[in-house]
Amino acid sequence: MPNVNGSLYGLTILSPILNDEKATPSHDLQIRAYLATLPTGADSPFALTAGTHLCRLVVMDDVVYVGMPACEEHLQSKYLIFECNLDATDDAGLERYLRGMAETIPAHLDAVWSHCVGYPGAKNAQAFVEYMKACQIETTFFFAAVNDKSLPESLNALQTQRAVTDFIASHQGMEPARLQAEFVAFAAELQARPVPKPGAPAVQRDIKTGGHNE
Amino acid sequence: MSKLNETDIQGFVLRGYNMPYTRYLFLHLEDAGRARKLILRLLPGITTGQRWDGGKPQSTVNIAFTHRGLEALELPTATLISFPVEFQQGMKERAAILGDTGRNAPEHWDGLWREGRVHVWLGVSGISPAALEARCAELLALVEETRGAVLVGSQDAASQVVDGKATTKEHFGYTDGFGNPDYLGVERSSQPGQGKLMEDGSWAPLATGELLLGYADEAGELPVAPVPHLLASNGTFMAFRKMHQNLATFRAYLEEHGELYGGGKEKLAAKFIGRWRDGTPLELSPEKQDQSIVLDPKQSTNFKYGGDGDGTRCPIGAHMRRVHPRDAFGFNGKLIDRRRITRRGQPYGTFADEDEVVSDADDRGIVFMALNASLSRQFEFVQQQWIEYGNDAHQGNDKDPLMGNHEGRGKFVVQGDRSAANPPYVCAHLPSFVELKGGDYFFIPSITALGMLALDLVDPR
Repeated sequence: MPNVNGSLYGLTILSPILNDEKATPSHDLQIRAYLATLPTGADSPFALTAGTHLCRLVVMDDVVYVGMPACEEHLQSKYLIFECNLDATDDAGLERYLRGMAETIPAHLDAVWSHCVGYPGAKNAQAFVEYMKACQIETTFFFAAVNDKSLPESLNALQTQRAVTDFIASHQGMEPARLQAEFVAFAAELQARPVPKPGAPAVQRDIKTGGHNE
Repeated sequence: MSKLNETDIQGFVLRGYNMPYTRYLFLHLEDAGRARKLILRLLPGITTGQRWDGGKPQSTVNIAFTHRGLEALELPTATLISFPVEFQQGMKERAAILGDTGRNAPEHWDGLWREGRVHVWLGVSGISPAALEARCAELLALVEETRGAVLVGSQDAASQVVDGKATTKEHFGYTDGFGNPDYLGVERSSQPGQGKLMEDGSWAPLATGELLLGYADEAGELPVAPVPHLLASNGTFMAFRKMHQNLATFRAYLEEHGELYGGGKEKLAAKFIGRWRDGTPLELSPEKQDQSIVLDPKQSTNFKYGGDGDGTRCPIGAHMRRVHPRDAFGFNGKLIDRRRITRRGQPYGTFADEDEVVSDADDRGIVFMALNASLSRQFEFVQQQWIEYGNDAHQGNDKDPLMGNHEGRGKFVVQGDRSAANPPYVCAHLPSFVELKGGDYFFIPSITALGMLALDLVDPR
């Protein structure tokens, strides 16, 4: 199934944006304006939705004409593109994810998708799930950085890796009996730690990446 | 690809001169007309890429310009704004992108580089101190006579000379200077491991456009270059970085962790960089130094990492494996062919024997220069992604153990196996062994382009 890569689902949704000449500003501009205000870190609405590995929202105005010898073409509508890698391996899993989304961030969903054709609102979760699935297209091919771990598993693994490395660094060369005792205590403490929050990097890098002019 | 015109390319671009004594003179241009006259007078003395069939000269001179220098020469605006944005900005403005932060931040640089008055780099090398002094005196006499520039700073560098022969040792004791890349059309004595890896496991020269402007690069594209074409062609860009070495910190760290690490101090030093300090690649000889490998051109740079995926021979985060990963990222090395740089450089400051008491405050370090067609795609990428970050090598946030801007928070994992002589080890709380003291981005024009600058013939139309 091309929408699935290992334990991850690659969701692609194209929602036609309302074409209302009376709307001021136009609906696509209203979507852009709202998306620009959304946080992208741990407070991102999509980080709050369980099972989101990453996602992206794009407003697609039209195909860009690049000049001769290309021919000039146009889309029939503007589209909102929603791409998302999430924890699911089948249709039931996808529905679970979408339902969770409707229950967790209904106000955000309405603020964005109410500018799209036929959007029923997130209040009725079943109608929301059916709408999103009606707008879904096959992903065919996608990249998943980690495709054999759920989001909580990955977050836990990163926490464990950091903690174990720190433990090794501070215990190298220790006398075996004491090392074992300290390791047992450390392992118990580590296991009791909560799953880290998605979207919150443990280490802030003091380097500018992904910005302008890079 | 036909042979390059070596009489049009500055010699410094095509080959390292291996001269033991070097001085970099930094000039500020005040009047465009007088500056052009100076360039015209310097031009006949600029060392080109022509081979020295008649023997090594006594000295060499090469020249390069910052973007501010080209502005001072009053190049047309249409030309000035056609240079790549990172060159227009200069290295100081790129600090956040390069990870030149904290103690490496521009506010801690030498005054010369903080003030941003450097317009011209003159690289002068000599086979003896007297030859160097004589050539510098000639150049400064020309500067004075034409009143074409003001000397705002200089930097000496010199190889460690042992038994009358210049070595390639640097202050930490490593043998440096292996394996600059080969490029199509450049005649130099090359050896396997210096170009790009081919499907059949052999090594071939990189596309000329990875080093020189005006030629196709590894993507079959022309590198971003200024207009007119003639100004750019046969030229290249250079990142000049003065890097202070904290020798006392390095020795103390190695001493402390060499005792805890089961492989011992010398092996730990080798794990940092990927070569034993005498230059033997760990990949070819993980257990001992072996001069027969170092001295054999068929071996000294001829190795891959594919058979060492766990890093038990050469650690995955070792300096050399980071900055030239060869086949380590898979795809038969194809991911790295557009990230190669040509390196030049020499140590500065006095060398200290192992038993000599040293201090971090001693003025000692290395002048490092990276030459490439695209500063952002090549030098800046290597610096940002492979030195100041570890994700491509699956080392998370870990930085290059030796070059990284650690400030006491660095970590380096030495992968190992079950043998007592090669155990795994975690180097934690890494200090910054190296600190940036300044530098800038320079354009190294061709001989033709220098003539255009000197005669005010740069026309972007």
